[in-house]
Amino acid sequence: MRFFQTGLLLAALLSPGVAEAQSGAGQNTSQTGPISGYMEMHFNRPIDDVAPPVLDFHRFVLLVSHRFSDRIHFFGELEIEHALVEGLEVGGELEVEQAYLDMLVRPELNFRAGMLLAPMGIINERHEPPTFYGVERPFVDTVIIPTTWFDVGAGIHGTIGGKLRYRLYVMAPLDSVAFSAEEGFRDAAQSGSEAQVRSVALTGRAEYVAIRGLQLGASFWRGNSSVTLNRLETPTGMIVADARFTRGPFEGRAEYAHGFVDGAAELNGAVFRLTGVDPNVARQIRGFYFEGAYHLLPRNHLHDLGVFLRYENFDTQFRMDDGNVELLEFDRDAWVVGANYWLDPDVVLKVDYSHVGSQSQVIPGPRTFNLGIGWWF
Amino acid sequence: MVVLIMRLKVIVCSVILCGALACAAVRPATVQETTTPRPEPDRVVHVIAERFLFTPSQITVEVGTTLEIRLTSEDTDHGFRIVGPGDINVAIPKRGRGEAIATFEATEPGEYRFECSRVCGAGHNYMNGVIRVTPSSTERAASGGSR
Repeated sequence: MRFFQTGLLLAALLSPGVAEAQSGAGQNTSQTGPISGYMEMHFNRPIDDVAPPVLDFHRFVLLVSHRFSDRIHFFGELEIEHALVEGLEVGGELEVEQAYLDMLVRPELNFRAGMLLAPMGIINERHEPPTFYGVERPFVDTVIIPTTWFDVGAGIHGTIGGKLRYRLYVMAPLDSVAFSAEEGFRDAAQSGSEAQVRSVALTGRAEYVAIRGLQLGASFWRGNSSVTLNRLETPTGMIVADARFTRGPFEGRAEYAHGFVDGAAELNGAVFRLTGVDPNVARQIRGFYFEGAYHLLPRNHLHDLGVFLRYENFDTQFRMDDGNVELLEFDRDAWVVGANYWLDPDVVLKVDYSHVGSQSQVIPGPRTFNLGIGWWF
Repeated sequence: MVVLIMRLKVIVCSVILCGALACAAVRPATVQETTTPRPEPDRVVHVIAERFLFTPSQITVEVGTTLEIRLTSEDTDHGFRIVGPGDINVAIPKRGRGEAIATFEATEPGEYRFECSRVCGAGHNYMNGVIRVTPSSTERAASGGSR
C-alpha cells in the first residue's frame, strides 16, 4: 500500500514534465518578472518506520535586486522554511537571508554591507535546487557547515586577474550557547537579529576559477563566540576546502570542513550550571564528502538526467576536551544515491536513498527514501 | 531487504523510463538567429555563463577592434550587460535554447566592466568580468618612440 502511495506521488511529480515534453510547449518561452526565486518540496520516508513519512514544502524563497546606479546595487533574499510561521510555536522560519548593498569600485576591490551569506563551502552561497544533487543538502553542509549561514556584516570582494575571486567580511559572531553535541554550530548564528557584537568574526573565501570546469575554494571563519555567556572566552574557527569539477558528462564535488571550539570544557561547564544539562560540545568537529555524478543525456538538451553517488563522513564529537566523553552516535557517515531529472534547466525532480550509519552499536542511523521537486525562476 | 531493493529498483526504473519518454519528445535545441545586420567583427569570443561565473571573465582587445561576444548558458537564463556608454545588455537564454550575441566597439582605451543583468541565484552579484581595451600596437610604438 505504501509502495503504491509512493508510486502515485512519484507519478504526480513526474507528470508535468512528461506533459510538457510531449506537447513541445514552452520550448522558447522562458520569462521572468521583477522577482526571482526558488522553491522546493520534499517527501521523506524513513524506511525503518521509526517516524512517519513527511511531505514538506521545505523552502519558498524570493529574491529581489535593485540597481541604484552602475556602482551601487542592492540584493535581497527572503525565505520561508517549512511553509508556516507561527508565534511561540515550533514550526517554520521566516528569514532575511541576504539584504546587502554592493559598492562597486574596481574588479579587484568592491565593498559590501548588510545581511550577508557567510562565504563557507559550496552550498551556502549556491543552494538553488537545480544546482545540487539529492533532495536534501549534503549532511556536511548542514551539520558541520550550518547552511544557510547568514548574518550582518561588511567587507570587500573582487576578482584578481580573472582567475582568483575573493570575499573578506567581518560579521556578527556565533553564539556558543547554541552549540550542540549532535549538530555542532547549526543553530548558533545570530542571523542579524539584534546581533551582539562585542567582537566581530572575520571570514573569507578564495576561489580559483582559471580552468574551465574546475573551481577550487578555500574558506575560513574566526571569531569569539562568547555572546550570551559573555564572561567566557570561546574563540571559534572553521576552515573549509572544496572543489567542483565538470568534464563532459562527468561531475564531481569534494568538500572538507573542520571546526574548532577553544574552551569547550569551560563552555560545557557554564551551560551545565545554567541549565542543568551538559551539552557535550566538542573541541573539534569535522566532516567531508565526495560526490560523483554522470549525465545520461546530451548536454544541449533542455532535459537532463543525472545519476549520483555521494559518500559523507561527519563527526560532531571529533575531538573532546578532558572531562567530556565522545558520543559515538554522532560520529556518522552516509551513503546517498539517486538521480536528478531536469525537465527544464530550472525545474528538477529528485529521488534518492540515504543511509546514515554511526559508530554506535546501540543507536542505528536512519535510512530514508526521499523525493523532491524544486524550481528556480 | 530483498523486497525493499525490488521496490527501489522499480522506482528508479520508473524515473528513468519517464525521463526517456520525456526526452524522446524533446525537439533539438535551436540557435537564435539575429535578424538585424551586425558589423563585421574583427574578433569573436565565446563566453560561457553559468552560476556564478563568466568564462572567460577577462577579455583584452586593442582599441579599434569590433568584438563579437557569443554567449551561451550552461544552466539558467542570464544577462550580459556592459556597463558604460552604449549600455549593451542582452539576455542569454538558458541551456539548450541557443546563444546570444553582443557586439562591442572598442573605441577608447580603458576597462569596461560587464555583469550578469538577470538575477540567477544567491551569488548573482559575483557574476561579472571586465573587457580591457588597450592602445593599438601602432599607438604603443609611437608613444614608445617619443620617450
